[in-house]
Amino acid sequence: MTDIGLAALAEDPAESRRRARIARARKAKLASLFKHVVLPVLTALAVLLLWEAAVDFNNIPKVILPAPSDIAERIWSIRNLLYANAISTTTEAVAGFAIATTLGIVLAASLVYSSWLRAALYPNIVFFQLIPKIALAPLFIVWLGIGAESRLTFAVFISFFPVVIATITGLTNVPGDMLRLCRGLTASNWQIFWAVRFPYALPHVFSGMKIAITFAIIGVVVGEFITANKGLGYLIMFASSMAETTTILAAIAVLCAIGLTLFGFVTLAEKLVLKAYGHKAA
Amino acid sequence: MADPRFIRVRDVAKTYVAGATEVEAVARVAFDVAEGQFVSILGPSGCGKSTLLMMCAGLEPASDGTIEIAGRPVVGPRREFGLIFQDATLLPWKSSLENVLFPIRMMKRDPAQYRERAEALLGQVGLGDFLHKRPSELSGGMRQRVAICRALIHDPELLMMDEPFSALDAITRDEMNEALARIWETQRKTGLFVTHSIREAVFLADRVLVMSGRPSTIALDFQVRFARPRDPALVETPEFAKICAMLKRTIEAGYARSGRSAA
Repeated sequence: MTDIGLAALAEDPAESRRRARIARARKAKLASLFKHVVLPVLTALAVLLLWEAAVDFNNIPKVILPAPSDIAERIWSIRNLLYANAISTTTEAVAGFAIATTLGIVLAASLVYSSWLRAALYPNIVFFQLIPKIALAPLFIVWLGIGAESRLTFAVFISFFPVVIATITGLTNVPGDMLRLCRGLTASNWQIFWAVRFPYALPHVFSGMKIAITFAIIGVVVGEFITANKGLGYLIMFASSMAETTTILAAIAVLCAIGLTLFGFVTLAEKLVLKAYGHKAA
Repeated sequence: MADPRFIRVRDVAKTYVAGATEVEAVARVAFDVAEGQFVSILGPSGCGKSTLLMMCAGLEPASDGTIEIAGRPVVGPRREFGLIFQDATLLPWKSSLENVLFPIRMMKRDPAQYRERAEALLGQVGLGDFLHKRPSELSGGMRQRVAICRALIHDPELLMMDEPFSALDAITRDEMNEALARIWETQRKTGLFVTHSIREAVFLADRVLVMSGRPSTIALDFQVRFARPRDPALVETPEFAKICAMLKRTIEAGYARSGRSAA
């Protein structure tokens, strides 16, 4: 810092003002980094420490509330069990998300292009949105058994609606004059879809996908609760029956990590795609 | 040999049904436009002039009457038309050059063959250094200049412009008028230009059609006899001011007839 100050003395005032501006901007950037990254992380750490201290201080039994250090230890000691179940949960959530996204976009496009289909289906889709779909989960076991099919189908079932609704909004959000221009050029619906409508819809599609990925995980975990055959949800149920609170929280911690990672991937894809398409990031 | 009746508009009307009442937007409009002529359609906001243009472009069906362009009735949009709207409506993820080539792609022609023409057009409107910039990096006037080039890329016979500069500030607007007049000299298409700016209508056109308030008809068909190419200083001449004043009175009279105040 001091040598910058010395150099500024030797230079003309405009140059030193420029340097000062750059230094100020750098300082502002650091301050913003602290505020938006370091501060939330410190808060989380503080809560964990408080939790640890409260459990220690009050001698709370582990079956009621284990300390974070106990949970960390447990994660390490049962890492193989967690890993195997985490793989199952992650694979099914990702598969469910991928199917839901594909189906959702295809259905949204069909609804946008066919007024008959839209009239027949759209009100029903909105109506279906309102049903607490978790209540329907047991039906999937009746229909599809206790295997992966059941969990996957349920994950698709609950994560597909946000994609449909968001994509329809996006596809119909194209400026009217843009569509008039395309019609004026006698472009086909197929051309208009790929060249104009779909790229315009991307910010909406991604906001639907971000909801879908979290819903897909919820869907799989709920599926695991009731199919009781594998996955982190199953592990949680199993541990709960043995009053193994530490294992429950260990599984939940892993679920959080999976959720964050998958959401992070979708957000990253969103950033890259929206940047490539010149949209302002949502 | 230029066709004196390149555009034939015959008793065209447009009515909208709104609930139990019919709203008559355009009432029995008739005019011809010769090939190569630039015609301004001038009128107050909401007088149905944009509707008339959309009917000519085949993007809006007429409720009554017929429109023929190049000897064929207009039943839908045609590729020989170039369109410019109030907003530039550029694709935000494409460069200026790619936006200008957009019609070529939509027509499934080879963009490589039109690249040179696209670059030349952009050069003509002063965007030679902005070929690879995206719309977000351009000013409003620059974006609208890209839209002009896009409308001209496939060498249309007829250019239709729907208040193309009304979203721009007054200074940019004058610049755009000059840019359009300049490119017009080199591209000589038949032009239909809808505007509510009297100055703009007169400066650009060979002929001004003044539309009266709703239901609109043509109140005046006025020939603008200033020589081309037109100098920007033309707008400062007394003759220019006299024509503008006369057109203004006609518009106001049209308003009075339709029972509305010329606020």
